[in-house]
Amino acid sequence: MGMAVAAQSVLKWFVSRIRRNGSSSNSTVVSSTSPWDDDHRFHSRNFTSIVKLGYPTRNQGNNGNGIVQRIWFSKYATATATASGGDGRQFLGMTDEELMRECDMDTFKASGPGGQHRNKRESAVRLKHLPTGVVAQAVEDRSQHKNRAAALARLRTLLALKVRNTVDVDAYSPPQELRQILPEKSTIRGSDCGPQIGPNNPKFALGMQALLDLIFAVEGSISDAAKKLGLSTGALSRLILSDDSLRMAVNELRTSKGMKPLK
Amino acid sequence: MRLGFPRPSLSTFSPILFHANPGRPNTCSSKCLIQPKPQTPLFLRPPTHSVTLSELRKWQNWAKTLASSVGSNFIDADNSPDTILLHRELNWLIEDALENPKPLLTQLGTDCNDEGMVMNLRAELGDLYELWKRRIEERRPFQYVVGCEHWRDLVLSVEEGVLIPRPETELIVDLVTDLVKGDHGELREGLWADLGTGSGALAIGIGRVLGTCGRVIATDLSPVAVAVAAYNVQRYNLQNKIEIKLGSWFEPLKDVKGQLVGLVSNPPYIPSDHISGLQAEVAKHEPRLALDGGADGMDDLLHLCHGATSMLKPGGFFAFETNGEKQCKSLVHYMQNESKGSFCDVSIVSDFAGKQRFVTGFKARPFVNNLHTSCISS
Repeated sequence: MGMAVAAQSVLKWFVSRIRRNGSSSNSTVVSSTSPWDDDHRFHSRNFTSIVKLGYPTRNQGNNGNGIVQRIWFSKYATATATASGGDGRQFLGMTDEELMRECDMDTFKASGPGGQHRNKRESAVRLKHLPTGVVAQAVEDRSQHKNRAAALARLRTLLALKVRNTVDVDAYSPPQELRQILPEKSTIRGSDCGPQIGPNNPKFALGMQALLDLIFAVEGSISDAAKKLGLSTGALSRLILSDDSLRMAVNELRTSKGMKPLK
Repeated sequence: MRLGFPRPSLSTFSPILFHANPGRPNTCSSKCLIQPKPQTPLFLRPPTHSVTLSELRKWQNWAKTLASSVGSNFIDADNSPDTILLHRELNWLIEDALENPKPLLTQLGTDCNDEGMVMNLRAELGDLYELWKRRIEERRPFQYVVGCEHWRDLVLSVEEGVLIPRPETELIVDLVTDLVKGDHGELREGLWADLGTGSGALAIGIGRVLGTCGRVIATDLSPVAVAVAAYNVQRYNLQNKIEIKLGSWFEPLKDVKGQLVGLVSNPPYIPSDHISGLQAEVAKHEPRLALDGGADGMDDLLHLCHGATSMLKPGGFFAFETNGEKQCKSLVHYMQNESKGSFCDVSIVSDFAGKQRFVTGFKARPFVNNLHTSCISS
């Protein structure tokens, strides 16, 4: 087995990874209203979501029991998409490389010949996660390479915010990743969780996703969700308000249900 | 990024500003003994100039106004940067010029109370006026203004006479990284070459993913490029791994004929007629030597392709950047016909903007070639 053969498969994978997604005519662009002002998060001008209904995923063909998943998009009705290869939790558990493989990457100023013709500043990057259609982008760094890393980090947060998993409310028991972000006074938290994980920790996204799954399952009721988590309503509210993106996701749901937003 | 590289003497600091003629006289032959002294990028200069917050803010407001006056004129003229981009560049200039940019950038943006606060700059304030004026009025590329370009996770020194590495080219390093990752050592521990290295970007990017025995030889015809590439190699402490040689394409590689396991290049590929129509930052300031690929832009690509047949080991990998689909296809066509049987697994790889940009492949192994005579067409 020569190196050429092994290398070829790697290259083929690579070529397919960077293959540009040709059809974008049936996508809807939703501008975010999130003014994420923290340096390490994103500003609304950098953040666009593309919603593709019934988007056929690349891996779908071989997966007989593709999981049907509810995907919630801000300001749009709940959409249903078929995602293969697992659920939203699995996306977030992937390594950067695995996640990247599920994305099409795009640069912004794709017009013109590029390369030596241009004095760049095409360092901006847009990643589209094919199974869900979620898009993250980054423009502010001086190197494309770094913008790609930033876009990937944002994609993780967006997947946590936008991809909903169904939960069984009656037999609910919060998963470990959710218990880790709960304040230590929670009665169901358990002693195996270590100190509370805050919004700046990369593991927060997974917990945030599980928390949103629960809040969606109880249709936005903070007091119902709090009971399931062994917290007072006030304590859960404070947790939600501690992260801008989490707060906005919850408030958009509550507004859509005719409930008052948390403040 | 601050690497332990000895700072050159102060005398090398002035050219960043006073290098008025971008087209360096290139009177040196390849036997030239006088090595040009590379300039130190702004962000590595000593912060020996003090300025008050109000003085800096005054400069910043002036610079913003100048950038805003451009509006969309540059775009209309030759699809060049707009005001938004220029404002972003201005922030990057401040970032590079200040000793401690993070907190100060924030203060510049707010109504700060302490206007008399003194801070340290890496250039005189007067120089910053002049630098920004030249950025806008002469369309001098931003990267030459600050003397560096951020490329992948590297910060590479660049100056007039050296091509500014492009984001598209970053992908070649990804290709090589993926290749050596799945390799049992032959590619990872072998000898690579980066021809027409310019700032040394590809050589350094690849040098950092090779194994302990992996080596890179980088060549360039321009003595300025050789000096700058050597400076960059030293900044990343790769002088044991990467050797920079002065000379045209394969010329400095005669003693390693048939020994290369990898060959990469971003050669000049723009057709000669197109050069004058390029955006001013490129056409007026970047070295023609690194851009002009002859009548159809293919002169150097064909030369590389031809040389690869004898320079690469059987099974060795190559990746060349091209001008786009047309050149990719004609290069593949050349390989299938003119150098039939020399290469296999020849592929066209697109860049992140979806443009067919690279031609990659392998030097055929004699036995593979016998078994699969059609492998060139895969």
